[in-house]
Amino acid sequence: MKIKTLEEILKKKSSKTEFAILTNLENGDSEIYLPGTSPKGEFSKYAVEIENFFKSKKNGVIENSEIFVETYIKPIKVIIVGAVHIAQYLVDFAKSLNFEISIIDPRGYFASEQRFPEIKVINKWPKEAFEEIETNSSTALIALTHDPKIDDPALQYALKNKFYYIGALGSKKTHENRCQRLAEAGFTNDEINSIHGPIGIKLGGKSAPEIALSIIAQLVSETYKK
Amino acid sequence: MKNSFDEKILDEAKDWIKANQKVVLATVIQTWGSSPRQVGSRMIVNEKGDFSGSVSGGCVESAVVSECLSLIKDNKPCKKIEFKVSNESAWEVGLACGGEIAVYIEQIH
Repeated sequence: MKIKTLEEILKKKSSKTEFAILTNLENGDSEIYLPGTSPKGEFSKYAVEIENFFKSKKNGVIENSEIFVETYIKPIKVIIVGAVHIAQYLVDFAKSLNFEISIIDPRGYFASEQRFPEIKVINKWPKEAFEEIETNSSTALIALTHDPKIDDPALQYALKNKFYYIGALGSKKTHENRCQRLAEAGFTNDEINSIHGPIGIKLGGKSAPEIALSIIAQLVSETYKK
Repeated sequence: MKNSFDEKILDEAKDWIKANQKVVLATVIQTWGSSPRQVGSRMIVNEKGDFSGSVSGGCVESAVVSECLSLIKDNKPCKKIEFKVSNESAWEVGLACGGEIAVYIEQIH
């Protein structure tokens, strides 16, 4: 691999662009491929196979060839509501797990960049904040404020937009009350039951990093069920 | 998750190169049976034999390091290496898990 190619890969990774690295295993030539374009030179006759690797989000050697394809797809977007202590640990875990985190918190004293370096922190109420984030059914929501004023609008938005994972922090009692409010707001039982609340898998721990670990474990598990 | 954006190995490779080290990149390109690391897993090796990342669960890393050092010494661009089920009686390097992997090593130049 040429240093120039390596630099190009790093640039594409940091700008979250989707691409593939094509390598000729016989002579070591490598090339960066962008989905939807035509592969160059010696790789051009494998256009269909390369695109298929992309569609299936897989890496591998093209059959009956010496061409290796490695695809880089966008990370999964996770929106955290509440720039609280647990969120700081979630950010740490997410870094090594390929989740792209955005944090929403209207409370300025929580949502400081100093507490969350290199993370997109939106210091607005959920309704306005969601106007700044592109979301779809591959987005996850983690609600951590357990304050209905802040969490509820975000949960409603996530339910309406069919996020694949929605979790909300709070005790059983807090969650019961939350479910009741959502029912009153017109959400169906199925929708309400799709919320993971109280959030996280049972690990037994109560400290901020332990709760973050239980949340991230649940998120990973749900991501693989997609 | 589900792709390789998480791998920091390439960033590290860049840092090593900046520090004027010779770097060989090792990538898992094929697996058969049970293998600990998936296709696309990476490891880097410098001319001193320092390495970062992984291509297995620790089973074949030392063999990959020596292959990478030979590649630098012989000044070859790339090589494909296959590792099969370990042969205990011969004390060979191999995958104790019973899988097979192919690793591609290439110099970054």
